[in-house]
Order: sequence, then structure tokens, then C-alpha cells
Amino acid sequence: MPKFLIWIAALAALIALPHGLSFSQQEILVFLTINVLLVASYRLLTLTGEWSLGHVVIMGVGAYSSALLTKKLGVYVPVSMLLGGVFAALIAVLLSFPLFRMKGFYFLIGSFAAGEIIRLLWKRFRDPFGGAKGIKGIDPMPDFSVGFYQFDFFEPTSYYYFAGVVVAVCLWILWRIEKSPVGLTFHAVHWQDKLAQASGVNVRAYRTLAFAIASGFAGISGALLAHYVGTINPNAFDIDLMVFVLTWAIVGGTATFYGPILGCVVLTVINEVVLRELGLEQMRPLIYGAIMILSILFLPNGLESIVQKFTQRRASNGAPERSPAE
Amino acid sequence: MTDFLEVKDLTMRFGGLVAVDSLSFKVAHGSIHGLIGPNGAGKTTTFNMISGFYTPTSGQVLLRGEDISGLQMHEVARRGVVRTFQHSTLFAELTVLENALVGTHMPFRPNIFAAIIGWDKEDRSGAEARAKEALEFFGLDHVMHERAGDLSHGHQRALGMAVAYASHPDVVLLDEPFTGMNPEETRQMMDLMERLKADGITILIVEHDMQAIMGLCDNITCMSFGKFLAEGGPHEIRNHPAVIEAYLGGARHVA
Amino acid sequence: MLDLLAQTGLNAVYAASYISLVAVGLVLIFGVMGVINFAHGELFMAGAYAIVALYAGLNVPFFLAVAAGLLFVGCLGLLMERALFRPLKDNPLGGLVASIGFLMILQALAVMGFGVRMVHIPPVTQEVIAFSEKVRLPVARLYVIIAAIVLLSALWYFLKRTKFGWALRASAQDPEAAALQGISITQTARIAMFIGAGLAGIAGALTAPLVSVNPHMGHSVIVTAFIVIIVGGVGSLEGAIVASVAYALVHTFVTTFWDGVLADIVGLSLMLLVLIVKPTGLFGSADRA
Repeated sequence: MPKFLIWIAALAALIALPHGLSFSQQEILVFLTINVLLVASYRLLTLTGEWSLGHVVIMGVGAYSSALLTKKLGVYVPVSMLLGGVFAALIAVLLSFPLFRMKGFYFLIGSFAAGEIIRLLWKRFRDPFGGAKGIKGIDPMPDFSVGFYQFDFFEPTSYYYFAGVVVAVCLWILWRIEKSPVGLTFHAVHWQDKLAQASGVNVRAYRTLAFAIASGFAGISGALLAHYVGTINPNAFDIDLMVFVLTWAIVGGTATFYGPILGCVVLTVINEVVLRELGLEQMRPLIYGAIMILSILFLPNGLESIVQKFTQRRASNGAPERSPAE
Repeated sequence: MTDFLEVKDLTMRFGGLVAVDSLSFKVAHGSIHGLIGPNGAGKTTTFNMISGFYTPTSGQVLLRGEDISGLQMHEVARRGVVRTFQHSTLFAELTVLENALVGTHMPFRPNIFAAIIGWDKEDRSGAEARAKEALEFFGLDHVMHERAGDLSHGHQRALGMAVAYASHPDVVLLDEPFTGMNPEETRQMMDLMERLKADGITILIVEHDMQAIMGLCDNITCMSFGKFLAEGGPHEIRNHPAVIEAYLGGARHVA
Repeated sequence: MLDLLAQTGLNAVYAASYISLVAVGLVLIFGVMGVINFAHGELFMAGAYAIVALYAGLNVPFFLAVAAGLLFVGCLGLLMERALFRPLKDNPLGGLVASIGFLMILQALAVMGFGVRMVHIPPVTQEVIAFSEKVRLPVARLYVIIAAIVLLSALWYFLKRTKFGWALRASAQDPEAAALQGISITQTARIAMFIGAGLAGIAGALTAPLVSVNPHMGHSVIVTAFIVIIVGGVGSLEGAIVASVAYALVHTFVTTFWDGVLADIVGLSLMLLVLIVKPTGLFGSADRA
């Protein structure tokens, strides 16, 4: 079972990873883990063919609701994170009523407007959202022990393990959804919504479903962020971060499950390792922008197309690319 | 059940233009029914109203006595009336088998929670069996893993029908299925329809070319300028003076 | 109270002037190229920094600096056309994504060249036209209003009365038919990009002494421009101008009587409402999206 061994090796590498890193690099690892979930959830939304510019704000909805639930109502942190996701999904369902009257470019702009309105509401209403300064002193994840390991959440390594497990479970669920008949229906809605409808698919319901699921997981990623950083404000979820998410997805490619994750990891590594070491951190937007332009010009199918080229050559043309039943 | 599908006083206006003017006809259960007429007769508009693509201005579409006009396309489909599309409208990016699997959406409704936990093994294998059955039925099982967009024209048409067939329809609506086909492909297509009929499925064909469906239909309704013109068996229609008149220079078509 | 109303009205006219310059450029680019230029706010910012560099930095006379800003940003537009939009013509999402990339580059360049903080620009003129004790119009604002009226009238004349304008409108309506008529698509795209970008540039240059110039100033500009072109109907120049005036009035009044954040919320909600009710905008025309 070589495949099984690869997974074990990858897991071991992920567990060992923080120990070779500096404190600030460990912190970046935590952010990377959270961003992987964010960008993977974004891909689920793009499955039905719609590109949103409000995804990061939806992430913020998860962050704000989880923070407020713990602060105002004393909800136990892991529970509030889950509820943050649920709340983000509910907001998405509400937003779907106006937004899914639009398609394509209009959906893009509409989602942007809806997101900005939510963000400005946080800014304007000091109670309960804390206005422009946001919410400070968010309860951290309470420490606990699982026998062989003592979780101390002031340590980024501990939080990395915790977030890693949460994100892994979420990714597994996203993966299961995509490879299920539900995922196939998402694809169907994307490529030919009329034919899907003629096959009895309620297209609107499936668009909403994809939007709600994607938003739910974005909400969980936001909650993970809030309880790690301890402070959130409206500017933490502005269009700049949305542009990064777009860049990750486009550079990685959205045709496969791993494409956007690949984009996120590669760009983060380039950014944090290469740029920081070279002292070019200030040029981050410049380099991101250039990468975005170069990849859309010269690699329109993303990094995943390079990976596919290699794997396909190895697998020859015996087995089909996709196995729909699984 | 003779009055299986009934169109009653169906009318469609686009602005001032009356595309279909109080059209009525009945489709018997288990028959192949043709809806013909010259270009611009309102056939496709009628078709789109029956399938739920358009909401009629007035009138009814009755299925087993239930009014289904004005329902959305997926709601009509769920009542057993499944349409195909004029051109090779397929999920071109998906494989042939995946196309057929989308067709099984209604009998094996996916459930997201069951799918995550893995409690839908039976449904999945059932759906796959049904999809493969549909592909076999239309002779497509050997191209199962190819991209639908890469298929030949004839195969794409057959796949369009396989997707519809996979959903266990009671009625299949075919929109000009013979357009752009050579005689050999036409003969194969007619054969497929006979097999659908033998399977107990009612078929309503909208067709411009009378020649193609003469030998196929049990009953034919002819319309012209949005209005009902004539109805009857192929023989009657072929010799109906009003029909010949409507198909101007019709002798060429009818012969 | 009457004074306050009159003053707010004057402020709205000023806001409408620079907003319409930006929005009309955005619509022109969309009409001819079919691309939504997300970097349009940064073109505005580039115009403002041209003033920072030339007028505040090198003491070039203000209006000469404005003209240079217009040329500079117009050339940025030509660069975008050549390097981004032309190669990505057949990729529907491509132009938009590339313009986001370009936006980030311009922003980063501004940060590297001038720092993150806002820059102080010496006032061009201290003169104020006083209509009454409390109703006053700074002459610097009057420049912006005059520029908008003159430039938009000139554009209108250019589009409706000249051969180039005819070619531009023809290729906006039906690029293929226009190509058959012997209109060079590349040529019209260049002209549209230069004019569209140039208008954003001059708006940025003229308003630079009146606002806080910083690398992120493009953000609120592009949001405003989006609201205006959606409400006015994507692709409609007249709609963009009318919507600019309407938006400026609403926004200025809400800002004056309540607060700025609420004004932004009202503006965005208006846009969302228009998108829901009539996605082609209140002055709806053919849409190419």
C-alpha cells in the first residue's frame, strides 16, 4: 500500500514541521492552515460557476459571531466556533435571495456590495461590533490535555495542531461532498444549468446549497482566526484579503480540489520564506500582483495543470482521470 | 388512460405577437405523437410551454388531469415529463457516465449528509447501475469514460436521450431530434425511439421535417401560424389538403 | 438651514464632477473592451501622485502638472491595453483578474515611492467664492467642476460628431460588424483605454490638493464608480453621468446630516437594490457582461 505510506509520511511531516521553524514562522504556519480552509471553501463556491467577492467578509461573519458568542454569552470556545460556521452559512442563505437573481459579473459586483455593507455595519455599530477598532480580548481556546500532549494555546505549535485537525476534518467533508452525487450536481449546474433543470435539478437550491456550505466553512476558518489572534476588526476582512484568496485560487487553478490549496501554500511559502528572508516584504503586493498577471497570461489553468501533466504521464492513459462513482 | 397528456387552449403572447393561439391536442399514453408545422408555426414555443421553460399566457397543460403549466422546468421533470434540447446540449466537460448519472438525479435524489457519512452506498450503486443501463440502452456503454464533448455528433444526440431516459420518465419531449442528421443516423435515431416506446414511454416529437417522422408517429398534430390545423394518423396528415397547403410547395416534403 | 442645504448642494456638485469623470472612463473602457477595469481607482490614485511628484515635489506649475498627469495615466491605460487586455481578449474572467493584479502593482509602487502615509500638498489657490456668509465654494473645487463640464462635453462631441467617435461607438455595439466595416478594433481599444484612463488620471490630479493622497485612496473611488455604473446601467455614458449626480447628492446629504459610513451603506444598498430589481441599471442599455 504505497499510497497509504505516502499519507503516513505526509502526516508525520506535518506534525514535525513546526519544530524546525522559528516562532514567527510557526505563527505563519497557523495562518496558512486557516487560509487553506478558506481557499478550499472558496473553491466549493466556484464549483457552481459563480465567483464571489464577499467570501472573506463571510469569513468575518464567522469570526465576529464566534467572538461575540464567547464574549457576551460565555459560550464554550469550540462550540462557538462551530456556531460561527453555522451563522455564516445562515447569512449566506439570506444573501442568496438577492444575490442569486444575478449571474456572472453582476453576481461578482453584487457579492462585493453585500460584503461591503456587512463590513460597514460592523464599522458603524460600536455596540456590539466594536466599531472600526473591532473586538479585542477575544477568549482564547481553553488549554486541555489529551494524555500524551498538553495543548497550551499561547504556543503557536499547539494551535497549529488544533487548527490542523479542525481543517483536516473540514477538508475531508468538503472532499466527500465534491466526490458525491451532490458534487456532480454542482458541476452539472455549472456547465449546463438548463439541462440540469430538465433532469429535475432545482438549480437555485443547489446554487444556494453550495454558497451556504462554502460560507459555513469560511465561517469556521474565521472563528479559528479570531480565537487565535484575539482581536478582530472590519479591516481584517477587507478586499485586500479577498484579492489574496482570488490570487491563490487562480494561481493554483480551480479545476481540481487541491489546486487552490496548492496555490495558497506555494504563494505563502514564496511570500514568507523567500520575500521575508530577502527583506522584500514590502513588495508583497507588487509580487502578488505580478504573479497574478503572469499566471493568468501564461498559466491560465493554474499550477494544478503542471501537476496534472506529471501525474498523467506516470499513470499513462490506462485509468480514467476521474472516477465518478467514488 | 387515453388522455395522458393534454394541451388545452394553450396561448402564448410575446408583446403584441401571438405565437401560439389557443392550441389544444391530446397525447395518448404509450404513443409516439408528432407536433409538426412549417417554420414559425409555434411548435418550439408550445414545446417550451409544456416543458416549463415558458409560462403560458393562458391555457393549461394537463398531465394525468393535473395542471402543470407555469411550473418550473425541474418541477415538470419531477412529474415525469423530461425534455431534450435541440442542439447537442450536454455537460461537455463531464464524462459520458457522469452525464448519465446527472440523469439519475430524480430516482436517486442525492442527500448531502448521507453522502458525507457514507450512508448512500446503495443509492450510489443504484444510480450507477441505472446510468449504465441507460447508456447500454442507447449503445453508449463502450464510450462511458470519454469526455462527452469529444463524442461524435450522433453519439452526442444519443447521449442526450440517454440522460433523459436515465431519469425513468413517463413522457419524453424531443425537440427536432433529426436536425442535421444523415439518413443512416436518422434510421438509428428512429430505431432508438421505437425502443423507448416499447419500454412504455410516451414520446412527443416536435419536428419541422415531416418526412422523418411519418413512419414513426402514431398520431400527428399539425399547426400553422400558432393555430391548430389538423390532427390524425400519418396517412391522413400526409393527404390533408390544409397541411399540404401550409407546407407551401408541400408536395416535395410530403411525397 | 437654507445655507446648509445650499452648501451641501455645492459640495454634491463638486463630488458629482470627479465621480462622473472616473465613472465615464470606466464605462467607456467596458463598452469598447468588454472588461471591467478594477484598477480604475488606482489610475485615479496615479493621477494624484503625479501632482505629488511634479507640483509638490518639483514645483512644476499646477496645470502643467495636471496635463502631465493626464498624459501619464493615459499611457498607463495604453500599457494595460497592450500588456493585459489584448492578450486576454478571449478569457472572460482574465481581464478582470489581470486588472486586479495591476491594481496591486500600482498600489505597491505608490507605497514604495511615496510611503504609506498621506502626503500634504500645498494648496493651489486659497481663493474662495463666497455666495453668502456660510455658502462658500473654494476655487480649487471650481476647477474640478469646470474640468468635468468641459471634458465631458468634449467627449460627448468627440463620440457623437467625429469619425473616431463613430468608430468607437460602432465597435462598442458590435465589434464584429465594426471590424467588417474596416474599423480597427485595436485602434479603437487604444483610444478608449487612453481616454478612459486619462479621465481617471485628470480627476485624481485635480482633486489631489483637496483630499488626502495615500496609496489606498483608489479603494473608495472604485467602489463609488461601481455603484454609479451599476445604477446608471453598465455601458451607458449618459446613465453614468446622471447616476453620478444622483449618488453625489444622496451621499453628500447623508454624510452631512448623519455620517459618512452610513452614506456608504446607503450607496451600496442602492446599488444592490438596482441589481436586484433591474440588473441592467436604471438607464439600462445593451449589456455585454
